[in-house]
Amino acid sequence: MDILLQIIIPLVLLILGYLSGSYLEKRHYQSIRERERKMLHVPLVTFGAKQTLPKAHEAQLFVGTVVISIDYFKKISAMLRNLVGGRIKVYESLLDRGRREALLRMKEDAMAWGATQVLNVRLETATIGGRSGGSTDPGSVEVIAYGTGIR
Amino acid sequence: MLTAILSKYKKPKKVPEGNVSAHHPLTNFAYLLGTVLIVSLLILWTLGLFAQWVATQISPETESQIGEMLLPMLLSEEEAIVDDKRIQYLEGLLASLPQSDESIRLPLTLHLVDSEVINAAISVGGHVFIHTALLKEVESENELAFILGHELGHFQAYDPVKSLGRSLVFIVGFMAVGFGTSETGGIPDIVSLTGNMTQLSYSRTQEEDADLYGLYRIINRYGHGGQSLDFFKRLDEASREQGKLRLRLSQYFSSHPLSKDRINYLKEVAEEKGWDMEGQLTPLPKWIACPNMEFCDLDEEEGEKGKE
Repeated sequence: MDILLQIIIPLVLLILGYLSGSYLEKRHYQSIRERERKMLHVPLVTFGAKQTLPKAHEAQLFVGTVVISIDYFKKISAMLRNLVGGRIKVYESLLDRGRREALLRMKEDAMAWGATQVLNVRLETATIGGRSGGSTDPGSVEVIAYGTGIR
Repeated sequence: MLTAILSKYKKPKKVPEGNVSAHHPLTNFAYLLGTVLIVSLLILWTLGLFAQWVATQISPETESQIGEMLLPMLLSEEEAIVDDKRIQYLEGLLASLPQSDESIRLPLTLHLVDSEVINAAISVGGHVFIHTALLKEVESENELAFILGHELGHFQAYDPVKSLGRSLVFIVGFMAVGFGTSETGGIPDIVSLTGNMTQLSYSRTQEEDADLYGLYRIINRYGHGGQSLDFFKRLDEASREQGKLRLRLSQYFSSHPLSKDRINYLKEVAEEKGWDMEGQLTPLPKWIACPNMEFCDLDEEEGEKGKE
């Protein structure tokens, strides 16, 4: 019975994680693509230190943050990957979603304010809710995007 | 106006996509799980074989010390029966089994265990455990001698030390990877489980060899192999029936997986070697199921068996 539980519980969690995780991911990507298309006309531009910045009346900092949790399926996949090495493909889409969502949230704010461009955008990531004890295992990932909106 | 309508039906501008690896998560997962399972099992299997070999190299003195260390784990004080005439009888029976020129690397210690579970086992260091429930179920000395011979066969083949060596590798191996601990869930549990299952019992070959050893000693002692396998036949039949015996038998079957195949295998070998498998039954001492072999009030059916 004990042995049975040891197999069944993780298996149920795995299936649940896969089903809900992939459903949510699919839905999230749909929303990301739709919103990106709508906001395509406001460019994100980067200028070097010696380049002249475009003329603007006003400038303001805009920040977009998002925290996305991994699901059990991704977690186990990554754990197995940790043993053998190589690309953790299941995390790639997770981070991709994080970055694009953070940029979108920043851009949404900037556009609501009336920005024509967003300058020198930067991205940061952090892990949240990893296991204690110095494990590198992320529980969820936070992505922060920030840039200067001008109008 | 026209442009507004046209723009509505214009192909939407393509949004640049990130360069996330194209893959199906499930195939990826299956590949990973397969690799990890196969590789870890291969490594553990090799290490296990190595540990088995190392285990057979330890000196009898070391083995005896390890046996002393393990003893409290295998036998609790309340369960152990001491000062019982049955122990002397069983020790005598056990000592009569090996051939005269056969050397036993350690003195064997017989422990009588007060238990409702039918079981017999031998552990590292030559500790033989006989459960009282077993004494209630055996019907002849031939049967009992075969069980003892089987356990002695395991000991002579270094099976208990080998098994110990193997389980040590599994335990250390899983601890090294951090598996099997409560904080990890999921797949690692399955990995450790596969390890557990392989060390649950002796291998089939080990069991068969112990069987052969036992039977050969029985032939030597009694001149025939008759009746000695009857206990196992009864177990085999009882295991297929529902009843209280089944529950008590489960333990014996988990450590001594017994099937018709094994009995048949013994019969085949006996035929090949021309061993006599028919012969007189040697009765058990009266009241073998009772403390000190003195009359006691057993259950009706078990009392019948105790008499002869």
